[in-house]
Amino acid sequence: MSVRVSRRSFLKLGAAGLGASSMAMMGFAPEQALASIRHFKLTGSTMTRNICTYCSVGCGMLLYTRGDGAINVIDQVYHVEGDPDHPVSRGSLCPRGAGVLDFINSETRVKYPEVREPFTNEWKRISWDEALDRIARHMKDDRDRNFETHDDKGQLVNRWLTTSMVAASACTNETAYLTQKIARALGMLVVDNQARV
Amino acid sequence: MKGVNHSFGSAPSGIMEPPEVLLPQPDIFARRALRMRELAEQVPPLADFLSFMARMVQAQQQVLDGREPAWRPTPGAFDVALEHGMPPLSAASLRRELDWRADLAALLDALELHVAERQSPLLEALRAKTDDQLEELAELILEIKPGTDADRGLLPFVAAAMQVAWARLALALPRTPERPTGAARSLCPCCGSRPVASVIHIEKDRQGVRYLHCSLCETEWHLERVTCTTCHKGGQLHYFGLDEADGKLALPAQAEACGHCNSYLKIVPREFNASAEPLADDLASLVLDLMLDEQGTYARNGYNPLLIAG
Repeated sequence: MSVRVSRRSFLKLGAAGLGASSMAMMGFAPEQALASIRHFKLTGSTMTRNICTYCSVGCGMLLYTRGDGAINVIDQVYHVEGDPDHPVSRGSLCPRGAGVLDFINSETRVKYPEVREPFTNEWKRISWDEALDRIARHMKDDRDRNFETHDDKGQLVNRWLTTSMVAASACTNETAYLTQKIARALGMLVVDNQARV
Repeated sequence: MKGVNHSFGSAPSGIMEPPEVLLPQPDIFARRALRMRELAEQVPPLADFLSFMARMVQAQQQVLDGREPAWRPTPGAFDVALEHGMPPLSAASLRRELDWRADLAALLDALELHVAERQSPLLEALRAKTDDQLEELAELILEIKPGTDADRGLLPFVAAAMQVAWARLALALPRTPERPTGAARSLCPCCGSRPVASVIHIEKDRQGVRYLHCSLCETEWHLERVTCTTCHKGGQLHYFGLDEADGKLALPAQAEACGHCNSYLKIVPREFNASAEPLADDLASLVLDLMLDEQGTYARNGYNPLLIAG
């Protein structure tokens, strides 16, 4: 929904307006207030509404980020609290959700695809393209090898039992729908959701 | 705990059920006066102004407690409005009915002994006004116009008297109106006026919940956090606060500024100071308005009738 915003409804309360304001007209000198600007520092933060990633309850969260959205500034989340307006959680968070700040800012947080090749013990960073190609390759090979069209009794089954899918908890209905479509189209029977764990 | 009823049955609604609309408390002005005196000490550049306003607000409480108005609505007067979600105390329709001018006279009497030399001519000027002239001043306030330089110094007194008259009615409403919806979400459900600022409460049944505070009748109504009070979008809300030079938080009030429509309304989180009060803290954080005006991106959207810009 959009509301027409009229500039007329905004009120100018600046240095110029203050000199002719009711305060000045009532005999209170605005000079001191104007000069006091120098004593203060303007701090900016941004607040964003989000959904907890951890489980299927999907509690509402308010994320506080330092900075005012200016370009070239790397925002850092510094505070998280329950969203009091969220219909499910009404401002409450469980200990795991309330501790999400440490997860967000964790040094070991996984931020990009990595691979640990067979017979090595270190993680290697790879690109998203490479990661997706490799996953697709593995899936294709496995499906080609293990896809069953008929069971022991000769009944048509068209199933792929050797690979399963675990969906994320913080997904919308639309994501869940797509997950289902893709997994079932491939013949996958074992689909689960990490929200259950 | 109230439940939520739907066609499949009922379900518990959650752990907190905040009230949608809060009618004013009978001691609203006394608490505001207390806070203003506190702020007068904390903000030296505005000490004189805030002390005077504290006296005026204290006088408002005196008038609210002491005066019985000549006109009271009949018991069922607001039933139709309440039933259909219209503001029952609509400022425009009640202006001529309410004897707010008598409240003004009482307010001026209560202030008489407390004003300094600079301010006493204002009281005289107001007493000399005819009813029609006073009505014109009231119209400036309801239409949020600055008026002439000579009138501007009088407007806060008139607004204070009107606040008393409307708060008295809001206090006596038989039940709370429903929360406004749609484009009217930022207008008072009692009188249809604009908010002064918003406040985040800390009481158990409304902890962390944001309410807008009416500039006229002192009613508060719920608006979701992280929602712009002008365009009601939520994606780009920035919160500007004031720090002292040493990095300590100067005042609890922040400006909730929207990157979509470039407007801001002050928000007063009582988590930082339990006695913080939207109107008083808005006045005391004037420096925040000045700094944002200097920066030039955001325009103010709150109307504080005790400080009217020229």
